[in-house]
Amino acid sequence: MSEETIKKGLADKGVSRRDFLKLGGLLAAAMGMQLPPLEQSGLPAALGTPARGSQIEQNILHALETKQRLPVIWLEFQDCTGCTEAVSRSVSPSLENLVLNTLTIEYHETLSAAAGYQIEQAKQDAMKKYAGQYILVVEGSIPTDNDGAYCVIGGRTAIDHLKEAAAGAAAIIAVGNCAAYGGLPKAKPNPTGAKGVWELITDKAVVNISGCPAIPEATTGTIAHFAIFGTLPELDNLNRPKTFYGKTVHDRCLRRPFYEAGKFALSFDDEGAREGYCLYKLGCKGPTPYNACATIKWDQGLSFPIQSGHPCLGCSEPNFWDGGGFYQGQSTPLDKPTVAVVGAAVGVGAALGIGTALVNQSKKKAKKGGSK
Amino acid sequence: MNQQTVLEFARGPFFYFALLFMLFGLAYRLFSVISLGWSKNRVPNKGSQAKGVFMTFLKGVLIWPFIPWVKNTFTRNPLIYIGGGLFHLSLFVVIILGTPHMLVTKSLVGVQWATLPLPIVDFMAATGIIAMLILLVNRMIHPVMKLISGPAEYLAWLFVFLPMITGYMMTHHIGGSYESLFTRHMITVDVLMIWIPLSRLSHFVFYFFSRAIHGQEFGKRGVAV
Repeated sequence: MSEETIKKGLADKGVSRRDFLKLGGLLAAAMGMQLPPLEQSGLPAALGTPARGSQIEQNILHALETKQRLPVIWLEFQDCTGCTEAVSRSVSPSLENLVLNTLTIEYHETLSAAAGYQIEQAKQDAMKKYAGQYILVVEGSIPTDNDGAYCVIGGRTAIDHLKEAAAGAAAIIAVGNCAAYGGLPKAKPNPTGAKGVWELITDKAVVNISGCPAIPEATTGTIAHFAIFGTLPELDNLNRPKTFYGKTVHDRCLRRPFYEAGKFALSFDDEGAREGYCLYKLGCKGPTPYNACATIKWDQGLSFPIQSGHPCLGCSEPNFWDGGGFYQGQSTPLDKPTVAVVGAAVGVGAALGIGTALVNQSKKKAKKGGSK
Repeated sequence: MNQQTVLEFARGPFFYFALLFMLFGLAYRLFSVISLGWSKNRVPNKGSQAKGVFMTFLKGVLIWPFIPWVKNTFTRNPLIYIGGGLFHLSLFVVIILGTPHMLVTKSLVGVQWATLPLPIVDFMAATGIIAMLILLVNRMIHPVMKLISGPAEYLAWLFVFLPMITGYMMTHHIGGSYESLFTRHMITVDVLMIWIPLSRLSHFVFYFFSRAIHGQEFGKRGVAV
């Protein structure tokens, strides 16, 4: 399957030349491409010179015409399948098709028709056949406590599956906060010892497409980037593609002017909420998380949480479940002392203070008495 | 250890410790002074001590600051009076009327109030920062100020200045990612909270006690008026 070029695969499925050109433009936009990494990609250098129309789009079209199809192995561990659900609804049918159909997904527990030993065998075969070529996509965190007993697939632990698949992968993409940073399973007290992929696979670069779920266009865009250019996109310090995670949600938020003007909703049904004021006081975490929610949005660009009236939870950041209450202001401290603890601190301080004063008093009296 | 971990430490355990240490330290210092007792009043008081307390707060907080020219402290040192006044006003606006700071109080004690728009708070923050810089230069070049300033004064200045400048940088996203700016702000705030009971910065609480004690003293009348 993967010997065909991507373009041929599309043409076989009845995608017209016109739709193919549209796809090129769409991909360029989805990946936020400005200067494609031509040198690493092995595409002709002449493509780097300015041409009529969109040069980037032409590069992508050329890549689609010449590059071979790419096998993908998609593993699921401690997850809710939310990221798969999101990808299966990604903005344009063509982009979704590109990743789900045109790129060959060789193994995906949720989407595969086969099950049990057959699908395990298919995965083994694919990993052998495409050793060193396939993209490994991981969804869900990996439990490490009790030798990984909390997630066992086909009699083998998640750690086993991950390490085996990672060994032959050309690129590893962790989709969703769970796979990237541990996500919900890692929330205190982290009963399964859940970890993100990059904590376990240290000898290869892991691209983190964080989010809960990850924005589908970020997932498909990153996979498409690798399929087309053969390289990973530029990453930030948490290994997220800068294209999608370069700005905070707050930076691009449509309610930002209200923040600047100091107009806030104080409850979910007050006048401010109806006017669409800033949700900062209702606990919006927008200023810290880096994500593309405010620009790409969800459901074909229809809306995103803040637009529909809910504060941002900061789901693209590590440990967002433990980053303070979802409905508490983000400036608030994470650990609050209880009244008893405050009372104890003040009480001990006061007692010591009174003690010191009494000692000083008695010293003074003794001195006075002595001088008399 | 990544930025997020440091930030969680600064917002979590470090803040928790700093807050308790500040409360403990302030309680200790307050009670070690109050419990020393007062000297015996040998003349029967004919005035009202309560009125004295009321009047001294009224004058000190609401009257003198708005007609400063009647005070020698202003006419003799206008720079310090205006600079110091603006600095304290800026602190009040930023800490009490700044939205993020109000939310801290709300999360700790559950009380919330209306806050000012960001541009106003931001302007006052900048005013406070400039006032602090001018006061520092004055402290360093004025012969008398130079003489009475030691490490304690400069450290107190530094520990107040750092949260202000990091907070300002954070608002304007200058000098790094939001998390790193937030982290720096939180760490400097935690350090300030620890430093408060160890230094004269504790006057932000003790001022009200000493003013009250002076006030009741002023209210005493040895003879009927």
